[in-house]
Amino acid sequence: MKKIIFFTLILLLLSISVSAQTVELTFWNGFTGPDREYVEGIVNKFNEEHQDIEVKMEIMPWDSFFQKLLPSLAVGQGPDIAGMGREHLSRFADAGVIAHIDDFYNDYLAKENLPPSLYEAMRWEDKVYAAPMTLATAGFYYNKELFAEAGLGEEPPENWDQLFEYARKLTKDTTGDGKIDQYGFIFPIKGYLEAWSIVIWGNNGRVLEDGEIKINEAKAVETIKRLTDAMKEDKISPFVINGVEGDQLFASGKAAMYFNGPWAYPQFENAGIDFGVAAAPENPAGESVNWAGGTAMVLNKNSLDKKEAAYKFFEYWNSKESQIYFSINTGSPPTRTDIPEAEFSQKAVINTFSEISEKSRFPLNKEPEFSTIISDVIHPALERILYDEATAQESLDQAAEELEKFIE
Amino acid sequence: MQLLKKIKNSYKLRRKLMAYLFILPSLTIFILFILYPIVYSFIMSFYDWNILSTEASYIGLDNYNNMLNDSRFWNALKNTFYFSFGFVPIGIIISLILALFVNRKIKGKNIFRTIYFLPVIAPMSIIAIIWTFLLNPDIGMISYYFSLIGLENTAWLRDPDLAMPAVIMVSIWKEMGFNMVVFLAGLQSIDESYYEAARIDGATKLEQFFYVTLPLLKSTTAFVVIMTVIKSLQVFDQVYVMTGGGPLFSTETLVQYIYKLGFVNFNMGYGSTVAYALFILLLFVTIIQLRYFKGEE
Repeated sequence: MKKIIFFTLILLLLSISVSAQTVELTFWNGFTGPDREYVEGIVNKFNEEHQDIEVKMEIMPWDSFFQKLLPSLAVGQGPDIAGMGREHLSRFADAGVIAHIDDFYNDYLAKENLPPSLYEAMRWEDKVYAAPMTLATAGFYYNKELFAEAGLGEEPPENWDQLFEYARKLTKDTTGDGKIDQYGFIFPIKGYLEAWSIVIWGNNGRVLEDGEIKINEAKAVETIKRLTDAMKEDKISPFVINGVEGDQLFASGKAAMYFNGPWAYPQFENAGIDFGVAAAPENPAGESVNWAGGTAMVLNKNSLDKKEAAYKFFEYWNSKESQIYFSINTGSPPTRTDIPEAEFSQKAVINTFSEISEKSRFPLNKEPEFSTIISDVIHPALERILYDEATAQESLDQAAEELEKFIE
Repeated sequence: MQLLKKIKNSYKLRRKLMAYLFILPSLTIFILFILYPIVYSFIMSFYDWNILSTEASYIGLDNYNNMLNDSRFWNALKNTFYFSFGFVPIGIIISLILALFVNRKIKGKNIFRTIYFLPVIAPMSIIAIIWTFLLNPDIGMISYYFSLIGLENTAWLRDPDLAMPAVIMVSIWKEMGFNMVVFLAGLQSIDESYYEAARIDGATKLEQFFYVTLPLLKSTTAFVVIMTVIKSLQVFDQVYVMTGGGPLFSTETLVQYIYKLGFVNFNMGYGSTVAYALFILLLFVTIIQLRYFKGEE
């Protein structure tokens, strides 16, 4: 009897000392979509393999995520680590509520293994504040069947002149009721990604460059005018559609060309349409400039004592193994460039998106007011032109003026 | 004698204490979640306060000054009134007609009552999503039926002139059942003898409605009007889901703008200022209405 008590005591003591060593990392993010399962997959596997660290993840919709995160960080609370769109980094870094993690790149993950633009997006001023979580790039989706019907062959347009020429040919009234029911090139103003940035880059234009406002310069104005004219006069796209509506149009074969991320691929595949994915058409300088976006993981400034555990998790997340698992299942390109293409032979489109990521840019990079600029300046500017309230030049001049208050 | 008084007093006191004890739970909730935010947001409206920055600076009346020069605020105010002027009168008239209809002794009136009341129970956000699909010109059912009878296929929610009417229509459809039930209760409390007297005097159906039903529905109508006006000035869900305030801010209402300022831009100070503008507006409208309905009685 004594022995039993003795052993139980020892066991108890041991279990206490073990649990005392376990570092608990709270992790918030907003992956409520179809990729949730695979985010959970990586986290569970990490917890299994690391007895001394326990990642406690809480997934919530993005809007409530930010409504909770901002106030809690401001008063020194909140999760230890959080995953969020990379466009929000500068706001948090600027407010000084997240820790800079330069040493993570020295000791855990070599920045040479990341796409350069992705590493760049993790920086604010002269420090690095985040580890990559997911990478997204926009592919140029085109419906091959509609291309063949219009006699345009199998290949996507090479440059933007050709794109608009194709768009006009692909815009049709198939039922003869005087209404367009097949759109050449759909442009959702309020889509999942900033498609207007691709259009502007497609003419060598910029919105902002090195703190200078360029949205009302000739190159940007010219290309926006061409787009909006084609939408108004040739009706190549309905006006104010969002991402869901855009997806529905493309998936039902009512749209021929469309910029969208890798997440849309399975949906279009399931819809049974014959389509291809390519990089954006070349701009006059012969470059294809593509859209990139993504999410990043940050460390709460008040959780620096758990830094090592957090770094281990960031490292694990960005390991080849985790990235292959995540890419294969979600279709998004890996955050690393050193994964051999052969790994994705069963899902070749990942390689396409990976290649695109090497010639991509993050729109409005390092702009703390990213989402306000888009919703309050850029969307209204495009809508003013579409609804004939202003010419392209007037509207973009106004946008440039409004942008000034965001640039110090 | 003295002792008796004391006991009586303490009994009174105890009763008072008891009463306070009973209202304590709801009083706590009221103070914590209603009174405190109301007072605090009033203070906040004098500060330049971004939620991320740890300190807020006092800027006096600057927020209020900015608001008077903010074209987006005036636009939101205009849109809010636009919504109210559409939603309140049309919605109330339809509700009243429905109430009169289901108040008659017809077969299956309970089924009709249930049908009209169903949208009230469903959450506004879900109704708004469904209507967004229905109104979609490319894949929507409504535009399909419109095209069958030769009407033009219209992009309701994508047109700055038509988006607000569409939102108003959906709101009326969703809310008419509620007011219908209130009117129904009012109608059933009218004594049949009034109608008998009117009939003996030779009043037609229409005259009965205007000289018996309507005056006797007075207090019900007052309740319905005030509630509906307040509801309409606070419109948010359907706009948020169906148009997000667009196209070109044509459906952005005051609450929508407050939400945007406070919870998207995290500009709590200015957001509170606009919220106070709405508060004052609601206060005025309610006082005027109460006066009007009281004065008539």
